[in-house]
Amino acid sequence: MIDLLQTLGSGVLVGLVYALLGLCIVIIFKASEAFNFAIGEFLIIGSFLFYVLFFNDTLPWHKALPLGLLIFLFFSFTLVTDRHLHLRIAIPLGFAAGTLVFFIFFVGLKLPSLIASPVLRFVVALPLGLMAAGVVGAVVERFTIKPLLGRSPIAMTIVTLGLGFFLRACIQLIWGSHSYSFFLDLPDITLEMGEFLFLSDPIWAGILSLLTFALVIVFLFRTRWGLAIRATSEDQAKAMAFGINARFVLLMVWGISALCIAVAGIMISNFGALSAGMGFVGLRAIPVVLIGGMDSIGGALVGGILVGLCEAVAGSYIEPLGLIGFKEVAPYLLLLIVLFIRPYGLFGTVRIERV
Amino acid sequence: MLTIENLRVVYHDVISVLNGVSLEVKQGEILIIIGTNGAGKTTLLRAVSGMIDFYDGDIIEGDIKMADTSIKGLDATDIMKRYGVTYVMEDRPVFWYLTIEENLRAAAFSRWDKRVKTDMEKVFEFFPVLHTMRHKKAGYASGGEQQMLAISMALMTKPKILLLDEPSLGLAPLITEELFDIIKRLNESGITIVLVEQNAHAALNIGTRGYVVETGRIVLDGMAQELLENEDVREFYLGSGEKERRSYKDAKRYKRRKRWL
Repeated sequence: MIDLLQTLGSGVLVGLVYALLGLCIVIIFKASEAFNFAIGEFLIIGSFLFYVLFFNDTLPWHKALPLGLLIFLFFSFTLVTDRHLHLRIAIPLGFAAGTLVFFIFFVGLKLPSLIASPVLRFVVALPLGLMAAGVVGAVVERFTIKPLLGRSPIAMTIVTLGLGFFLRACIQLIWGSHSYSFFLDLPDITLEMGEFLFLSDPIWAGILSLLTFALVIVFLFRTRWGLAIRATSEDQAKAMAFGINARFVLLMVWGISALCIAVAGIMISNFGALSAGMGFVGLRAIPVVLIGGMDSIGGALVGGILVGLCEAVAGSYIEPLGLIGFKEVAPYLLLLIVLFIRPYGLFGTVRIERV
Repeated sequence: MLTIENLRVVYHDVISVLNGVSLEVKQGEILIIIGTNGAGKTTLLRAVSGMIDFYDGDIIEGDIKMADTSIKGLDATDIMKRYGVTYVMEDRPVFWYLTIEENLRAAAFSRWDKRVKTDMEKVFEFFPVLHTMRHKKAGYASGGEQQMLAISMALMTKPKILLLDEPSLGLAPLITEELFDIIKRLNESGITIVLVEQNAHAALNIGTRGYVVETGRIVLDGMAQELLENEDVREFYLGSGEKERRSYKDAKRYKRRKRWL
């Protein structure tokens, strides 16, 4: 009995991280009807950006310079085309952003020597890393998704598939494919009650994921921008007709999504190590959103916890029977069962499409 | 106020929908545009409001001018913000899953000011029925209420010109009458209105001037009262006229008498 409760508890904690991954897919799916298959790559990029800031692991100049140049070009270009700024203003602004990025990657923020306390360092580095991840998401959206606005969602989905390959190659070019040790050194909050033992890292992962999840929901349902996102999610054309800049909303959604994926990525890296091959973890989001329903935010939470539980139970009860690796398959079996009973997921909107 | 000069619009680079439309909207009037299905009425409004881009259409010729400055090719958001042209799409463009109040706030998104609340009160004064159900999801409202909501959402954007695309679509005759009454009142409060309608009789009755569009061209124009009495309009759009019914084949008969603007 204690064994089961222990298993279920750890399942829920991991499940919360999965729920966050699911949320990232769901908000993009709601806004543009596209499934983001590049989620694994976003996860690694977010983790690496945080890694660079937190551990001050800088890059050689021949890697930092192209990154800075890319940011410079992107910002100048976007400010001119989207914000209608004059070249005289846009180019210096873009140059400033590019230089900033170059210096962050080449020199680093020197956080480890500036801030001794790992907790404080985490508190400073996390928002910066997440912001960087959000910018990456926005940059990617600007170049790949925006030109497809108003086109078939299938086109966008296929673009994200290709994008995944491209980003993975970029990551390997920049950071190589070896593992980086990733140790956040957060305060130990290991929970030990009688015969229960919950390790500190999963608890932190669960708490931070839940917090991020809650923040995203507050943003979506309590702010003006969130309202614009929800309106655009329902119908891009209607939103545009009422003066909501659907293009910018889409940019924002991708930014937020990339930011949340980065939180999940950092938490998952904290369980072990960070490496360019870690992207497959992101694909755990597939059973999560399909079980919960592709367009349901609450469904992502429930789906995430279900997948976490399923994995934990399979891991500690079925794998010892000799079925090694069954843990990886179990969520998909659960998915199959759910889809047989409810083809739109547990909380998905049943769509009526007339042929 | 708004001038359209020889506008040609093509969808997907091949389907030509507007073949040289010229018209003028004068300050403070209700301009009626009538025409058969597929004549290009909706496309015309999309082109003016800047939404044409979204539907993969291109303006290949001609110009749209707002008091001598061209607004051709601008973003829909820019056209609304800078020139006050608000387009109410056909088929009740409300957000189904948002409450009525959220709908109104979403429509006020393009404005940064804090006066949204007072404006919302004004809109509720205009449409008291919306006030009683403001926490209800718009998807549960009836067709007439949704259309009223759509118009109030347009009002939240503070329009100078309101482009209405078939507001009477799918509404009961009584509701349509009420709606046209409201449109008239809006016009009296100083908003210029461009009204695209199938319900030609009701529309021409409240309108100042009218245009008849057919296969992407303007074939007739005149004061609304004149159009109501025009034999061809009576026959093809009002369903009355001469006793013997002509076959639809002859429907384009009066093209020969077309007046170019």
